[in-house]
Amino acid sequence: MTVWQTKWAPTPRELAACVECGLCLPHCPTFRLTGDETASPRGRLNAMSAVAAGTLPLDSAFAEVMEFCLQCRACEAACPSLVRFGRVMEGARAEVAAAFPREGRLGRRVAGHWLESPRAVGVATFGAALAQRIGGRHWFPRRLRVGLTGLRRLPLRRRSIRGRDVGAGSDPVATVGLLAGCVMDPWFAAVHEETIGVLVSAGYRVVVPDDQTCCGALAAHDGAADDAARLAATNVQAFAGVDLVVANAAGCSAHLAGYGHVVEAGTELASRAIDATVLVARAIGAGRLPQLPSNGRRAAIQDPCHLRHAQRVVDEPRSILRAAGFEVVEIDPDGLCCGAAGTYSVVRPDTSFELGERKAAQVRAAAVDLVASANPGCEIQLRAHLGSGVRVAHPIEIYAEALHSARDHDLAGSG
Amino acid sequence: MTALRSTVARLFGKMVAEAPGSPPADFTLAPTTADECAAILDMASEHRLRVLPWGGGTHQGMGGRVEPNVVLITTRLGGMSEDTADLTITAGAGIGAAAMEERLLERRQTALFPEDSGVSTVGGMVASGSSGWRRLRYGPTRDRVIEVVLATGDGRLVRGGARIVKNVTGYDIPRLATGSFGSLGVIVSVSLKLWPMPEAAATVRVDDIGAALIRAYRPLAALETRQGCAIYLSGTPAEVTAQVAELGGNAEEGHAWPGRPTGPFVVAIRVPPASTAAAVGRLPRDAQFVAAHGVGEVIVSLSPDDGETPLALRSWAEDLGGAVVVLAAPVGHGFDPWGTPPASLDLQRRIRAAFDPVGVMVPGRMPGDR
Amino acid sequence: MPAAANLVEDLRRALGAEGVRAEPLDQRLFSKDAGVTRGEVVAVTFPRNAVQVSQVVLIAARHGYPIVARGAGTGLAGGAVPSQPAVLIVTTRMDDVVVDEANRTAWVGPGVINLDLSRRTASLGLHFAPDPSSQAACTLGGNVACNSGGPHCLAEGSTVNHVLAVEFVDARGQILTVGGTAPDPAGLDVRSVVVGSEGTLGVVTRILVKLTPNPPAVKTMLLAFSKVSDAAATVSEVIASGIVPAALEMMDQPMVRAVENFVHADLPVAAAAVLLAEVNGHVAAVDAEADVIISVGRRHGATEVRLAADERERLLMWKARKSAFGAIAQIAPDYYLHDTVIPRNRLVEALEEIYAIARRKDLLVMNVIHAGDGNLHPQLVFDGSVPGQLEIVKSAAVEIVEMSIRLGGTLSGEHGIGLEKRDLMSLVFSAVDLDAQARLREAFDQDHRFNPGTVLPAGSRCFDFGRSVAEGAWV
Repeated sequence: MTVWQTKWAPTPRELAACVECGLCLPHCPTFRLTGDETASPRGRLNAMSAVAAGTLPLDSAFAEVMEFCLQCRACEAACPSLVRFGRVMEGARAEVAAAFPREGRLGRRVAGHWLESPRAVGVATFGAALAQRIGGRHWFPRRLRVGLTGLRRLPLRRRSIRGRDVGAGSDPVATVGLLAGCVMDPWFAAVHEETIGVLVSAGYRVVVPDDQTCCGALAAHDGAADDAARLAATNVQAFAGVDLVVANAAGCSAHLAGYGHVVEAGTELASRAIDATVLVARAIGAGRLPQLPSNGRRAAIQDPCHLRHAQRVVDEPRSILRAAGFEVVEIDPDGLCCGAAGTYSVVRPDTSFELGERKAAQVRAAAVDLVASANPGCEIQLRAHLGSGVRVAHPIEIYAEALHSARDHDLAGSG
Repeated sequence: MTALRSTVARLFGKMVAEAPGSPPADFTLAPTTADECAAILDMASEHRLRVLPWGGGTHQGMGGRVEPNVVLITTRLGGMSEDTADLTITAGAGIGAAAMEERLLERRQTALFPEDSGVSTVGGMVASGSSGWRRLRYGPTRDRVIEVVLATGDGRLVRGGARIVKNVTGYDIPRLATGSFGSLGVIVSVSLKLWPMPEAAATVRVDDIGAALIRAYRPLAALETRQGCAIYLSGTPAEVTAQVAELGGNAEEGHAWPGRPTGPFVVAIRVPPASTAAAVGRLPRDAQFVAAHGVGEVIVSLSPDDGETPLALRSWAEDLGGAVVVLAAPVGHGFDPWGTPPASLDLQRRIRAAFDPVGVMVPGRMPGDR
Repeated sequence: MPAAANLVEDLRRALGAEGVRAEPLDQRLFSKDAGVTRGEVVAVTFPRNAVQVSQVVLIAARHGYPIVARGAGTGLAGGAVPSQPAVLIVTTRMDDVVVDEANRTAWVGPGVINLDLSRRTASLGLHFAPDPSSQAACTLGGNVACNSGGPHCLAEGSTVNHVLAVEFVDARGQILTVGGTAPDPAGLDVRSVVVGSEGTLGVVTRILVKLTPNPPAVKTMLLAFSKVSDAAATVSEVIASGIVPAALEMMDQPMVRAVENFVHADLPVAAAAVLLAEVNGHVAAVDAEADVIISVGRRHGATEVRLAADERERLLMWKARKSAFGAIAQIAPDYYLHDTVIPRNRLVEALEEIYAIARRKDLLVMNVIHAGDGNLHPQLVFDGSVPGQLEIVKSAAVEIVEMSIRLGGTLSGEHGIGLEKRDLMSLVFSAVDLDAQARLREAFDQDHRFNPGTVLPAGSRCFDFGRSVAEGAWV
C-alpha cells in the first residue's frame, strides 16, 4: 500500500541509497541559506521516505519542502552513495502535482505546454521586447522583473534557427543535431549563431531539425512528468538521424542526458547527448579549433549547476575561455547555485534573489568585467544582479568573438 | 587528636616519612600503592583533615598557602611501563620526571617535560600542569596526559582515559586533573603520549624575535632573555640546516635552554601570544626574565619589595584576558597568588566537590580559595 | 505528536516565528543524525546567539523538557538524538567568525562548518587542524561536542588541542566563558571537560579555536599491499621508527572498491589493503620522511607506491578516503560502523580478529582505519530488511568492542559515546569510575537537562558515600 499515485514516484531502492551521512548538506544552497535540515537534500529524502512509509502525510508541508528545492543537483555531485537526487526530486514533484492538481497549475501549464509552442513563446517574446523598448518593466509583477532586467535585448520580429543544415559540404567529422530550445531560440539567437559557426569551423555538419520541441526540462522539474515524457518522445523522433544531439544550454543538455529516466526510448538519445561546451573543448583539444594567444584579459567562470553538478562538466568551459585568450578567474569553490534554477526565480523570488546577490558579490569580488555562463537562466540572473558593469556571455560566444577578431586581424594584416 | 594519632599509627604507621622542604603537619605519610593512598584520603575525609600532596616540591610555591594536617608524599608511588613502542608510557606519580626522560632518551623518545625538571616528579608535573619551553611546537603537557588514576579526596580510586593516543570515551578527567594542584585528589599514576626525539637540534640567535618567529616554520621555542633572543629548532638534519640558513645563520648545535629566573619572588605573566613583546616591555629594567614568544608567557624574577610592579602588570595582563600568577614568593608576601578568580568559580567549586565532597584537598591553594 | 502549544508559543516569543519549528515533518526530520538511532523531538529551535540559547534553556526547563543540541547532524553515535522527548537547539545559525591573525586564533560560532573555517583563513596561511572525514559538512560545535579527530589529528591532536576557550550556556541559563587566549588560565581546566562532553554539560555558543600554520610542503602517497597484515605491520613500524606522519590511513579492499566507484581516482582495487600516508612540514624535511615510510612499506612487501604528483591528485586521494562512509551504500543498504581504538602496535592482531568475527557471523566487513593512531572503523554492511540481520550485526559489533578492549584499547576514538555505546561504558570503566563521571556531570547539570540518557549508562550514579560538603570547606 503506497500513497504515491504516479509511476514517477521515488522508488524504495532510490530512497534506500541514502545512508544519511550528511555530506550533501553544505552543497545545498537552501541549507546554506537556512541551516535547516528540512531544507537539505538529506531532509528531503527523509521526508520522501517518511511519506512512502506512511509515517508522514503527503500534505502541504511536504509539498513546501519539495518545492523549496532548487533542483540544482549539487548534492548529487557530493554524494558518495550515488543517490540520483535530481531524478528522485522530479518524481516527488510529480507526486506533489498529482496530490495537489490545483496548486502550481499555471507553472506546470507553462512548462508543460506553453514552452513547446513557438507561437506562444513568440507572443511572450514580443511582449517582453516591447517592454524593453518602452520601459514598461514596472508594469510586470515583481517575480518577473528580475528576469526582464536580465534578458538580452529581444527582437520584435520572430526568428528561428530551426530547419538549418550547414557544413554538410566538406566531409564532416560528424553530424550534430542542435537543440533549438524553447526560449533559447528567440532569446539567445546570437549564442545559437555562434555555436553553429564554431561547430562548423570544428568540422561538424550542424542540423537543426524542424520537428523538434522544448526538451521538457522545466516540465520535469515542475512535476509535469507526463508532459515531459511527451516532449522527450517528440525529440527522440526528431533527432533520430544525427550522430550527436547538442544543446548549448546546460539545463537542456543535462536533461537530454537524463532522457532515459523520462521515456523508455530516451536512453539511446541520452547516449548521444552532449553539451556544446564539451564538444567545442574537445575540438580545441584535438586541434580542430585554434588555441588563441593570450589577450591579457581576465574572465570569470560561473558554473551552471546542470553543467557542473548534473554532468560534472568543469574543465571544458574553462579550456574554451583559455583558448579564447583569457585568464580564467574562479569565483566559487563550491559552485553554489545562482538562484535562477529554471522557473524558481519566478516561483520563489525571495530565495532566488538572495542567492543571486551572493553570486553577484562573488563576481564583484573577482574584479572582472566579463563572466562566462553556459546556461540562459544563469545568464539572465547574473545580468540582473550585476547590472551593466559586467558583461555576461556564453563561453562559446566569447570564443567565437575571439576567433572573429583574430580573423579580422589576420585579414587586416594581410590586406 | 590522640585517638586519631593512634589510629593513624596503627593503620599507616609504616608510611610515616619525611620530605625535604615540606611544611609541618600532623602526619607526613608516604603510601606505596594506590590503595594505600586512597585509604589515607578516606581517613582524611572522615576526620576532615586538610591534605597536601607532595612530590618533588618544585612547584609548591604556586597558589595559596595550605596548612595541612596531612602531607601525602607521592614519591613512593612508583612503577613505569617498559614497552613504549606505541609512543605511550604509564608511570607512577612518584617517578622522577628527569629519570623518565633519561629512560626515554635511550629510545629517542621524549615526554616533553620541562627541560630543567630537576627533582620534579611525574605526578607533580601533571598536577601543576607544567610545560617545558617546547610547548610552542608540541603544545602544553595537558595535551599529552591520556590517562590518570586519581585517588579522590574521599578515597575513591577513579580512572579516566586510557593508554591510547586517541580517546573520547567519557569525560576528559585526565585533562581536568592536569593543573588541578591536588584539588580533586592525589594523582596516583598517569599515562602520557610521547614524541620521537628528532635527530638534529639547533639554537639560532636572532635580533628580531618577532620577525624570526614568523619566518621559522613551527620552531620548538622562541625565547627572549636579558642576554638576547633565540629560536630553537629540531627535525631532520636537512630540515634544521635549511631552517638555520633561512633564519640568517648565527647558530649553535643542540639546545642551549636558558635557566629559569630564580629569586625570592618569581611570577609568570600570561597573555595572548601576540602580547609577549609588550609584556617584556613592561618589565623593570634589571629584572631577569625568560619570555616565551608565540606562547604568551613571561617568567620574571621581581623584587619582593616592589609592591607596585606586580600589581601594574596584573592589571594590564588581566585587561588582555591574561593573568599574573605567582611561582614563588616569600612567606607572608601580600601579592595574591592567582589574581582575579575566573568567572566559572562556582562551577569549579562544584566540580571539586564532585571529587572531594568534604573539601579536604589543598584548601587555600586554588583561585578564590581565600 | 504535535508539540505542547504553550511551549511553542513561549519559544516563538523568545526567538520569533522563524526561529521555532514544531510541525510533525520538522519533528521527524530532526529526530535522527547520521547514525542509526532515532529519537523524539518536540520542538526545533534556531537561536542566533547565546542570549537566545539561554532563553530556550529556561523555557524548556519551565515546560519540563530536556535540551539536545545539534549542528549539521553528521554524528554517528546518536549524540544529537534525544533519548526522550526534547527541545532541539540547532546551532547552524550561529555562524560568525572573527579571526585574530596576530594570535592565530578565531572566535567562531558553533554553527560554522569545519572546512569553511579553514577556507576562510587560507589567505592568512592558517587552518583549523582537526579534519574529520565529514569536515565539509560537520560544524565546529559538533566537533567540540565530540572532541572530533580526523586523519590529521595523528600529528596535531584532536579538537580539544585546538580549542582555547568555549562560551556555553549552563543548566541555569547562565552564559559562562572558560579558557582564553593566554596560556594556562588559572583554576581547573573546565574547557577540557566541556570539549568532548557530547552536549551533556551545556550548550556551546562560541568557540575560541587555535589556527595552525599551513605546512609549506606536503607529500601524499598511496601504498598498496597484497596482504592486510603487511599494511598493518607497516603502520606499527612507521610509528616506532621515530617519525610522526601528518596522517596514516588504511582501507581494505572492499572499501577501496566502493570509493573507487565514486571518485574514479584509479585506486589500486586489486590490493588487499591500501595505506594513505601524508607527511608535511618544512620543504627540507618531507622528502626524508616520505622515504622512511616508503622504505618501511617496501620492506613489508608493498606492491605499489604512488606519490601524488600534484595538488589535484592529492585532493583526489583524500576525497577517496573521506567518502568512505557514504560510499558503503553501494554495497548494501545498511551499515553499522564502529569507532574503537587499540594501541598501534596491536594493529595486525586486531584486524585478524575483526575478519575472524565477521567470518564467524557470515557478515561482510569493510575497514577504513585511522591506522596511525590505532583508531579502527570497521563497518559491518548488511540488509536491515532481512529479519535477524541487525541482531547478528550488533552482536558482532560487541565482539569487536570487547576485542579492542582486550588489546588495551577503548570504545571510541572520535565519534563519541552518545546513545550508541552508552551501555558499553561499563566494559572499560568500573562502577566507581562511572560514578565519578556522573558526579562530574551533575556538577554542571544537576537535573540532567542536557542530552539526558546519553554517554553514561543508567544507574551510573550508584555510589553515595554519605558525606556532604563541609561547612566552610572553602575558606
